[in-house]
Amino acid sequence: MSGILIVAEHTRGVLAEASLELIGAAQVAREKLGGPVKALVVGESAGDFAGALNRPGVEEILVAQSDNPHFDAAAMEEVILTAARVQQPALILIAHSASGGSFAAAVAVRLGSGFAADVTGIGFAENGLAVTRAGFGNKVNVELDFPGKAVVVLTVRGATFKAPEGAGNATITPLSVPLEGLAGRYRHVGFEEAPASDIDIGKAEFILSIGRGIQDEKNVPRFAELAKKLGATLGCSRPVADSGWLPKPHQVGLTGKVAGNCKFYLALGISGAVQHLHGMKHVETIIAVNTDANAPIFNVAAYGVPMDVFAFADALERCAGTP
Amino acid sequence: METRALFWGLESFGVVAFYLIGFAAIGAFIWGVARAVGKYRRGRSSPVPLDLKAGFLRMMLDVASHRTLRRRDRVAGAAHALVFFGFALLFLGTAIITLEYDILHPLWGVTFWKGMFFKVFSLTVDLAGLAVLAGTALLMLRRGTYPPEKLDYRRGYQNEAELRPAARRWQVEDWVFLCAIFFIILSGFVQEGLRHAMESPSWTYWEPVGAFLGKVFAEMDARDLHWIRAFNWWLHGLAALAFIVALPWYKAKHIFAAMGSLAARDPLALRRLPRAEAGAETVGVGKLADFSWKDLLDFDACTKCGRCHEACPARMAGYPLSPRDFILDLRLASDQAQGGALPEKTLIGETIAAETLWSCRTCGACLEICPVGVEHPVKIVKMRRQLVETDRIDPLLKSTLGAIGTSGNSFGEPAKKRANWTRELEFTVKDIRREAADYLWFVGDQASFDPRNQQVSRTVARIFRAAGLDFGLLCESEKTAGNDVRRVGEEGLFEALAEHNLAEMQKAKTFRRIVTTDPHTFNTLVNEYPEFGATAPVAHYTEVLCDLLESGALTVKKPLNLKVTFHDPCHLGRLNKRYDAPRRVLERIGCTLIEMPRNRDNSFCCGAGGGRIWIPESPGTQKPSELRIREAATLGVFDVFVTCCPKDLTMFEDARKTAGFEKDFVVADIAELVAQAIELDAIALADLPNLTEKLTAAIAERVASAVAERLEASLARLPTLATAPPVPAPAVALSAPAAASPLPVTAWAAQPLAPAKLDYSAPAKEGLRLLVPVKQIGKLGDEFSFTADGRGIPSEDFEYLLNEWDDTALEQALQIVEALGAGEVVVVTVGAEDAEATLRKALAKGAHRGVRVWAEGLADADPLAVARLLAGVALAEQPDLILAGAQSGDQANAATGTALAQLLNLPHAVLAVGTDWQGAGVIGVTRELEGGLLHRVELETPALVTLQTGANTPRYATMRMIKLAKEKPVAVVAVAGEEAAFRAASIRRLYVPEAARAAMLEGGADEVAAKVMALIREKMGETA
Repeated sequence: MSGILIVAEHTRGVLAEASLELIGAAQVAREKLGGPVKALVVGESAGDFAGALNRPGVEEILVAQSDNPHFDAAAMEEVILTAARVQQPALILIAHSASGGSFAAAVAVRLGSGFAADVTGIGFAENGLAVTRAGFGNKVNVELDFPGKAVVVLTVRGATFKAPEGAGNATITPLSVPLEGLAGRYRHVGFEEAPASDIDIGKAEFILSIGRGIQDEKNVPRFAELAKKLGATLGCSRPVADSGWLPKPHQVGLTGKVAGNCKFYLALGISGAVQHLHGMKHVETIIAVNTDANAPIFNVAAYGVPMDVFAFADALERCAGTP
Repeated sequence: METRALFWGLESFGVVAFYLIGFAAIGAFIWGVARAVGKYRRGRSSPVPLDLKAGFLRMMLDVASHRTLRRRDRVAGAAHALVFFGFALLFLGTAIITLEYDILHPLWGVTFWKGMFFKVFSLTVDLAGLAVLAGTALLMLRRGTYPPEKLDYRRGYQNEAELRPAARRWQVEDWVFLCAIFFIILSGFVQEGLRHAMESPSWTYWEPVGAFLGKVFAEMDARDLHWIRAFNWWLHGLAALAFIVALPWYKAKHIFAAMGSLAARDPLALRRLPRAEAGAETVGVGKLADFSWKDLLDFDACTKCGRCHEACPARMAGYPLSPRDFILDLRLASDQAQGGALPEKTLIGETIAAETLWSCRTCGACLEICPVGVEHPVKIVKMRRQLVETDRIDPLLKSTLGAIGTSGNSFGEPAKKRANWTRELEFTVKDIRREAADYLWFVGDQASFDPRNQQVSRTVARIFRAAGLDFGLLCESEKTAGNDVRRVGEEGLFEALAEHNLAEMQKAKTFRRIVTTDPHTFNTLVNEYPEFGATAPVAHYTEVLCDLLESGALTVKKPLNLKVTFHDPCHLGRLNKRYDAPRRVLERIGCTLIEMPRNRDNSFCCGAGGGRIWIPESPGTQKPSELRIREAATLGVFDVFVTCCPKDLTMFEDARKTAGFEKDFVVADIAELVAQAIELDAIALADLPNLTEKLTAAIAERVASAVAERLEASLARLPTLATAPPVPAPAVALSAPAAASPLPVTAWAAQPLAPAKLDYSAPAKEGLRLLVPVKQIGKLGDEFSFTADGRGIPSEDFEYLLNEWDDTALEQALQIVEALGAGEVVVVTVGAEDAEATLRKALAKGAHRGVRVWAEGLADADPLAVARLLAGVALAEQPDLILAGAQSGDQANAATGTALAQLLNLPHAVLAVGTDWQGAGVIGVTRELEGGLLHRVELETPALVTLQTGANTPRYATMRMIKLAKEKPVAVVAVAGEEAAFRAASIRRLYVPEAARAAMLEGGADEVAAKVMALIREKMGETA
């Protein structure tokens, strides 16, 4: 009884990047916990993902066949539980995602395990595993340990650990789990794409993004105008899209789009919630404008402007007009 | 003997006929008046105490002096005076004749309407008639040839090109009224002339108009004269009677209604708003029946004179509000209620748009100028109360009210930071909670938290100190005074704030007086707080500064020799009549005051009042503050636009820039000028620019910073108090322990968790039951500390709120129950006693019942530990559906819902942005995945769904609803020790992360923008 179990996830035939990052997280954990590191993948054609999961550091890939072509939290739970009973890992790693969040805590309940969510750091203390997560609106880090727990379930924040590159030499083992008992209470109906849009945050190189700080829907046009003037793509944070001030395709962040090709990100009135940072913190040059000099956005920005966004926007507007 | 026949040429049949018609007319008139009075009586009682005797005297004085009619329209005032006094004399004349002819003579045979008395009488009524003719002619001329803009009923502010049908009728009644008066008088004179032509009486000079017309008619054929005289007699008589009959039915009714509205005027109108009526069915005013009788009377009193229309800053800035049209629209609705029950139809959205109600800045300009005592803004606030109650609020206003409810200030800042502005002072300001002082300084929000106004607050503090004035602050015990909260219509929250502040003042050490720099705070402390409890006398700081300068406590060392203009704050000047102190201060410090065209009672609002500072300006409108700044700019060259209100300073500094007057003058608070004039703490003169120089761009910049920042910098002789650094993390190494010691090993075993066993039994289920777990989250301010063991944060460092995600789940549950028309929403929380406040908020929003689970030591409970306790409650409640927030705003584990579902063995879906459920069977859920992909699933109920924000817009719970929610049952469940002990993780320590910080770009807006622009061009190329 030892080792680490990684739970891979995929949506519509695509393996999540977060799953590969879990392999990186497992590398850190195994230094003290020891191996083996096993990756578990569940699905109708789960075997298809075995290749992608075969990265250095993975000893074994458990492939659980399921009749359901789509994600089913209850099925995930059953499979993980079966795998855990067989493998008896000391640590189970799950991505902190819409899917992972659907079953991770349930697995912990059924195992009676230690549990922590949205973990950003993995380390060890005198009584075993000790992890770090952000709390209190990201202003404080919380260090947790799990005294007396034989197994710990963690969900790991995306874009935190690095996925190992290259091919591994894992063995692939089929895992059979009866799932018939689950039928009936949950049904997948279908997916619906986010509405199409003429803007593409993923491709934009220069994004001007607005957040709650712009205060009102009525102020959106002036920032749209400014973005146009600067030749930037207009992005926004979740609250702006939630309020319907801008269509969803403008949203940068976890439930929006990742600014994958962005080189220059101008964040106006965005405080920097984790879910937003997820979509933009990798950008090379981030300039953040916010009245709150302690806003978390200044922790990822290269340049900060502690100023009223309207005053700044006015000045930038004037400035953009002059060569 | 000189007299005349009353019923000339009439046989007794004619006389009897005339009397019959006359009595019928008077009866019809009384009936018409009774109907109107009956309508007023159906209104609610006056919500404010009225002294009708004093009111009647004041009305008589106002009418006699025509004080209210002359103001800002001398022509109309004079013309009205001619018509009114002329008409009054004619009425008196008719009464005298009636006295003799119908009473004294038939009863006792007494006659006096003859001889000299008759001659004087005749001359008087002739002149009175002439006055009425002249007055009406003037009014007709004004209306017909050069109508002032205020008489145009087209709603230009709403881009109305054509008159609406009602407005056309108004035009008709205006003319009918004037023409009717003109015609009655004219026909009277014609009658007199005809008499003179036929009878040639000797007393020509005593009836000059009659004599003159008599000469004109003298040429006519005697027989023609005879029948014309007979015809005109009836024409004149019937016209006069028709006038009386019609009086209660159109514009003419203002003759009575205006006397009533003037007599019943509330001397404190708007300065002190009416309290919410405790027993009333509805909150505020939503329909006609909710108005008081005075309101209904006001509608009838309005003469459409347009003075309010002209004065209203909202209308001038292009907002959909004209106080005149507001009253007229309500009058149209109220006219339909003549003679019957007041309709139950809602006014808001039908008669009056919500946007119209939100446009008002409660500056009081309309109320103050109204010649007939109509109290427009009070009605607007009463209607706003209904808007707030029914959650029709601007989102930003909603969040501001939420912030005030949570932390007592509109800036959403932690209450603890309220007195932080004093930290940069070189002396310690007294905390009146610990030390007695002469003055309690009630600082207010804007002066406490807005950086620019904090500078002013510090300057005022330094001046007070220099003058030896002994003052103290309530510090974090002070909450916003609530003037604007009340004017927004959140009466319950205002009451809570007033009660809180009064209680804190009671608890404080002794003080004699209260001083404040904020006119809004001043108004509410002076006029509204006394209804809630005892207060001390309140002074505005301009009054205190004036006293200090005039008593010699402050000496002017360097008269400023500045040309300045001064803006009267609405709440200080117009509403509380404090006009002189600031002007005397300016004179004392050597400023030459150039008044703006609109000053004192006619001051033009900056646009920030009535809570509008919390509501964004609408697109396509102008800012009232810019209109005001432009008005100042018409004065020509001057140096400083002087304010004495924190909101004014913010609004006008902004407007000066946006209106493009940065190079022309500066905006400064009066205290900043005083500080310079008294050379406070010997500021190096070289540091201050010569304000009287012709201002250039560079100087303007220099002035702006000198008046504000540099003044402050040079005043601060002592080093400023550095902000306390964050408490360093205890040094617990996260690295591995000594290499030799192996990690502790626990035998591997899966031990499924079970719901906590709680001593709780829920009420029997009577139908659908939805369970919503809610969490009171702690929001940390900029400054906080850790508890001694490093594993927690003291509760006083938090502001507590209802978790946003839970709020969304609750809203979803409420909407489901409301749509189904049945079912119960139970909210459950795991939290200490203070979490009850959050539970109450949820109950106020509409949840039916609450359950609070707690045990000592649960403060560090992890999501699984919390889920076990919630599961224990859920087992007892047996809900048909559990809706939970997807995560909490403080810890963001996003795990409790999933754990709870598993503990209860329920199908579940997380991160829902939509649900579709008919109360039984399958629930359709739309989940939101990464990248915005939507995932539709179906669950067999009972089930658990967690909600993502954005699924709906949570409603606002007014303070009144929160108070009412105190009646709703909350079960408190104590958890036994062993059940409370479970943890899936334990906290080792908390620490502040060492974050890479951005390089901060400092400087003025333009300077920073230039730097950013350069960076953009550097990185993105010249295309940007």
